[in-house]
Amino acid sequence: MTRARMRKLESVGALALCSLAAFAGLFWLVFILGDVLVHGIKALHLHLFFKDPVPPGMQGGGLRNAFVGQLLITFAATIIGVPMGILGGTFLAEYARGKWMARIISVLSDIMVSVPSIVIGTFIYALMVRPFGHFNGWAGAVALAIIMVPVVVRTTESMLTLVPWTLREAAFALGAPYYKVITQVVYRGAAAGILTGVLLSIARVAGETAPLLFTSFNNNFFSTDMNGPIASLTVTIFQYAMGPYEDWHRQAWAASFIIALFILVITIIGRTIVKMRYDKG
Amino acid sequence: MIEQLRVKFARRGQAFGLAPSFILPLKGKILKRALQMGIGPKKNTADILFYGLTALASFTVLMIILGVFFVLLKESALSIREFGVIRFISSTDWNPVTESFGAATNLFGTAVTTLLAMVMAIPVALGIAIFITEVAPSSLKGPVGAAIELLAAIPSIIYGMWGLFTLAPIMAEYIEPALQSTLGRVPLLGILFHGTPMGIDILTASVVLSIMIIPFTASISRDAFNLTPSVVKESAYALGATRWEVVKNVVVPYSKIGIFGGAVLSLGRALGETMAVAFVLGNNHQITSSLFDAAATITVTLANEFTEADTNLYLSSLFYLALLLFVLSFLTLAVAKFFMLRTERRHSR
Amino acid sequence: MKIEMETRGLNFYYVGGVHALKDVTLPIYKNSVTALIGPSGCGKTTLLRCFNRMHDLYPGNRYEGEIIFEGTNILSNDIDLIELRSRIGMVFQKPTPFPMSIFDNVAYGLRLNGVKKKPDLAERVELALRQAALWQEVKDKLLESAYALSGGQQQRLVIARALAVEPDVILFDEPTSALDPISTAKIEELLEQLKKSVTIIIVTHNLQQAARVSDRTGFLMLGELIEFDATEAMFTAPNVKLTVDYVTGRFG
Repeated sequence: MTRARMRKLESVGALALCSLAAFAGLFWLVFILGDVLVHGIKALHLHLFFKDPVPPGMQGGGLRNAFVGQLLITFAATIIGVPMGILGGTFLAEYARGKWMARIISVLSDIMVSVPSIVIGTFIYALMVRPFGHFNGWAGAVALAIIMVPVVVRTTESMLTLVPWTLREAAFALGAPYYKVITQVVYRGAAAGILTGVLLSIARVAGETAPLLFTSFNNNFFSTDMNGPIASLTVTIFQYAMGPYEDWHRQAWAASFIIALFILVITIIGRTIVKMRYDKG
Repeated sequence: MIEQLRVKFARRGQAFGLAPSFILPLKGKILKRALQMGIGPKKNTADILFYGLTALASFTVLMIILGVFFVLLKESALSIREFGVIRFISSTDWNPVTESFGAATNLFGTAVTTLLAMVMAIPVALGIAIFITEVAPSSLKGPVGAAIELLAAIPSIIYGMWGLFTLAPIMAEYIEPALQSTLGRVPLLGILFHGTPMGIDILTASVVLSIMIIPFTASISRDAFNLTPSVVKESAYALGATRWEVVKNVVVPYSKIGIFGGAVLSLGRALGETMAVAFVLGNNHQITSSLFDAAATITVTLANEFTEADTNLYLSSLFYLALLLFVLSFLTLAVAKFFMLRTERRHSR
Repeated sequence: MKIEMETRGLNFYYVGGVHALKDVTLPIYKNSVTALIGPSGCGKTTLLRCFNRMHDLYPGNRYEGEIIFEGTNILSNDIDLIELRSRIGMVFQKPTPFPMSIFDNVAYGLRLNGVKKKPDLAERVELALRQAALWQEVKDKLLESAYALSGGQQQRLVIARALAVEPDVILFDEPTSALDPISTAKIEELLEQLKKSVTIIIVTHNLQQAARVSDRTGFLMLGELIEFDATEAMFTAPNVKLTVDYVTGRFG
């Protein structure tokens, strides 16, 4: 009897410890998000979106340049990375399904997803910055695109694999060539999943800082010229937070808040799409 | 439909001199493969074009990986010639003025922060995973799980900035003095807590890093735990096992390869993390015994010095660091992937 | 014949309110094999899982009525489930070896109950494996992983694991549905041997199996116990029209 009691006590104790660990972990995470929320909202101001930075040390100004730069870079990265990712995933799931080549590329993509993003930054620096002699927005966009590609490749591949083979057979039976079967039937069947992959990949790169440090660099002035250095929110956060001015810190919090919000919203939308499409029954 | 295809294939086969009797019995599977190779019933240029396009896109992944390796190798050639491999990774010198570069301090910083972060993160992450899969009432499972996944999406720069503005002062003011006056008094262990607690140091960086990898590690561990068939758990309960005994003796052993793979994957991520540590580690090229000293990781050095490198050898040595980091994390991630694939295969059987 | 367990007016509701068992009253006789048959979804497995309160693992399930075991109602709240389950074993459809060696699998329940000494463990593991007719096949590879065994061997290993803790009752939930005919025959033979020492309740969708191995049979449909009688009577002269239809294969 006492032994049974001991075992039960041990069980309750150990599981309580697990729950405690869970709450400790969640505590920090809530702490961080709450902190960003509180500081961020306090620092929010319309000037942030519509004014450019003032010279260092002066009060006021905003981050219009960084918002616009961030949008430009992310948009360009999406234009480059998403089609490449979807096409690459299509090859793995359709033409090369089950072949060793597809398996290798698939595994390499998985590894690529977690390769340090700063390494991608140095790679693009060597390819696209040094030869031109100056930082440029396109280099930043390509660096982000390289981070997006494997994410989109893998989600596209797995979503296409989920489309039943009979659907393709039915289209073949109507005499459609394979590329039409893929673009008109298979893609439609997997659209929700692919869209989610795209959204998650955008969320992933929207917060990337390291690959932009040596590619698009930063620009304290408003610029939409992708051939020159261009500001981004993340690099600005890094610069402002490490800087000495109170006003910079305030703006860094605000920028962090906006980025976190953007990423959370995109991620939630992506997950909701998948839930609605694939969790039925 | 298969019938129609067979007939079409038979016709085309005859054109190549194959007897219809050879083509007609072909099974659907072979037809499928023929279609995959783009020689379906209607073979046209658009089909071949699309095939080529997708193949090209998918080989880009391969090209990027090879490209990163060879470009970094080429860029670091100057430094490799100057310092070699052994000397580079063992030298603690990092002096842009005398142009003497070694990676030892960076490797030290990367190794120590990563390991400390893992030591702190893994128990918590496993706790979260056990909580979600085995303890939480079903009404909590979904929300907590979703929260964890969302937190894994928060970019590292936010963790880093929070570390600088919020955690570092707390560490300097409360936690580090407390550690110093307790564990710091213990002989031998004491040297780890030596010096003035400033908050910008190895310990703070490791804490931020660990908080950042917790959601990721927890979500992988949860997925691994969830692979344990409930009937196996039930049969342990049916023998009179307590909930903890089921976790300890059945769930954890059942998913240990998956958990190990997940832990290594987290390790690979932590190795290459830049922004979470860049704010709070300082950038100090030294090997120290105290966790209260500033240090430098490979990533932090790159982030701080890459744009400032004014000589070819300096820049080349930074590329050399990037190459080391790439190889290191690639190998780690490959090991992780190997273990993850093994669990996948086990469960698909 | 002594009664080992007995359900009285047992009702069971799954989370969400599905009424899965309706007023089931059923005696289980000691040292005999009781088979529960019926079309799929009739509640036979649900009933089986009431006997060791497996349903309690999933919150929201609800029992009404009584199950009497040794004079106490095991559905009452103050019942120690850990102890109850160590006295009422269970074997599932698919073999469920744990990720450990053959020896450790059988010793698992014993270790939980505090048997620690090597010789004691070895002795009782051997006994259980002999009872499960597996000893000859595994005695030279006790330390190998249980996954290395064939499906039929794994199922007998799981039976040995249940036997090792010397339970009073063992619940079998379609124990042979995942096995080949030869393994099935071995396990049916085993049941015959085992009932000398334990009481057996078996759920099966295989009517011949029920006829072969059981002494008494209960027929359930839509959560109700339609008829309960000695197996021979059930299969030769059932009293209820529904039972006649079912055992003669007119539906199900």
